[in-house]
Amino acid sequence: MRWTGLAARLVLAGVFLAAGGAKVGDLAASVRAVHAYDLLPYTASKVVGATLPFVEIAVGLLLLVGFATRLAAAVSAALMLVFVGGIASVWARGLRIDCGCFGGGGELAADRSPSYGWEIARDVALLAMAGYLLFRPAGRFALDNAFIPEEDDDGDDEEEADQESAVGSAG
Amino acid sequence: MVTTRKKPIKSQRSARPAESGGKAAGAKRPARSVMARQLARERARRRAWIAAGIAAVLLVVAGFAGWYAYQSQRPDKAAASAPPPAGADAAGVRVGTGPVTVDVYLDFMCPHCRDFEDKAADTLAKLVSDGAATLVYHPLAFLDSASSTKYSSRSAAASGCAADAGTFVEYAAALYAQQPAEGSAGLSETQLVNLASVAGITDPAFEQCVRTDKHLAWVDGVTEQAVKKGVRGTPTIMVNGQAVDADPQAITDAVAKAS
Repeated sequence: MRWTGLAARLVLAGVFLAAGGAKVGDLAASVRAVHAYDLLPYTASKVVGATLPFVEIAVGLLLLVGFATRLAAAVSAALMLVFVGGIASVWARGLRIDCGCFGGGGELAADRSPSYGWEIARDVALLAMAGYLLFRPAGRFALDNAFIPEEDDDGDDEEEADQESAVGSAG
Repeated sequence: MVTTRKKPIKSQRSARPAESGGKAAGAKRPARSVMARQLARERARRRAWIAAGIAAVLLVVAGFAGWYAYQSQRPDKAAASAPPPAGADAAGVRVGTGPVTVDVYLDFMCPHCRDFEDKAADTLAKLVSDGAATLVYHPLAFLDSASSTKYSSRSAAASGCAADAGTFVEYAAALYAQQPAEGSAGLSETQLVNLASVAGITDPAFEQCVRTDKHLAWVDGVTEQAVKKGVRGTPTIMVNGQAVDADPQAITDAVAKAS
């Protein structure tokens, strides 16, 4: 189970770093991608579009090194909920846009069709990983382990043994 | 560090039955009192909160860095007060004097905009010459990331220089004819200047205008206005504010209906 935590951290970190990195070069495009959802007034779209890529990179770095993992997982889960909600809302309203998840964004050309279902499924999978980390933030090679002795571990190792065997039999 | 922590615990556990045979778990480490463990737990919790606080500050700083980077990626604020090109206002370049307004939102880097130009240029010219419509061209910087040199912005700014010379439509056609491939560097400043001859521009001010990116801030403003209006892609066509298909027939029908 400690490897599962590491895997969840690395996958989420990779996705966030890629998503943020793809957007930082053209933040005006990121603002347009946000505004294309037609959910926020323009000033709010500007704030979200300009700050989100950097926040994604920061969360990605936190997860990569495993620092304040629980907070990073909470922020990740919150972001995924917002993304899923945004895409679902666009889908329900019949807009035809690129989610702008990894750069790009805006209306799709006539010869392209939306892929909202796949995008939501992907974000729900990432949400599940963030949820796992929220409850089991300590994984292997996390910076957190260096200075925060794990709560579960500092006395009743019975419980941990039980969890380990439970996960082992499930897997 | 993880493994070294874990091993002693495991070995302790395996040794337990021999030592204390089935007693409660709390009895296995007599040296470490309940209170000491409580204190250790509190200390760990405090450290976790401090780490979370540091991380939260980092996230906020990242947000501010993003806002700062966004502002610094946009053209100079000082230049934003420069007057728009001749025949243009802050929203775009106006051509013709007809009663119906046809807005054309375009990006010189966008292949579908070139297709639209190929299909619809004659129709649009006729609407102007018949006095049926006023065209408002909005050259946008949507696809700056599709070239390594922000070609969308640069070409749109150059088209503003052509508007100064009174030949926006001709210069736009020349730009489309030389449309660079996605991912390329786009046309150089010199190439943009040289297109003047194709468009019939003789004004010597044109070169200076292109080379100094005089209308870059205007393009930024035109783009922002378009986004605020809900334009999400290019080409987007509106007839008296209503979106219509980027198709010559759809446009003439909508103009006929509106006039």
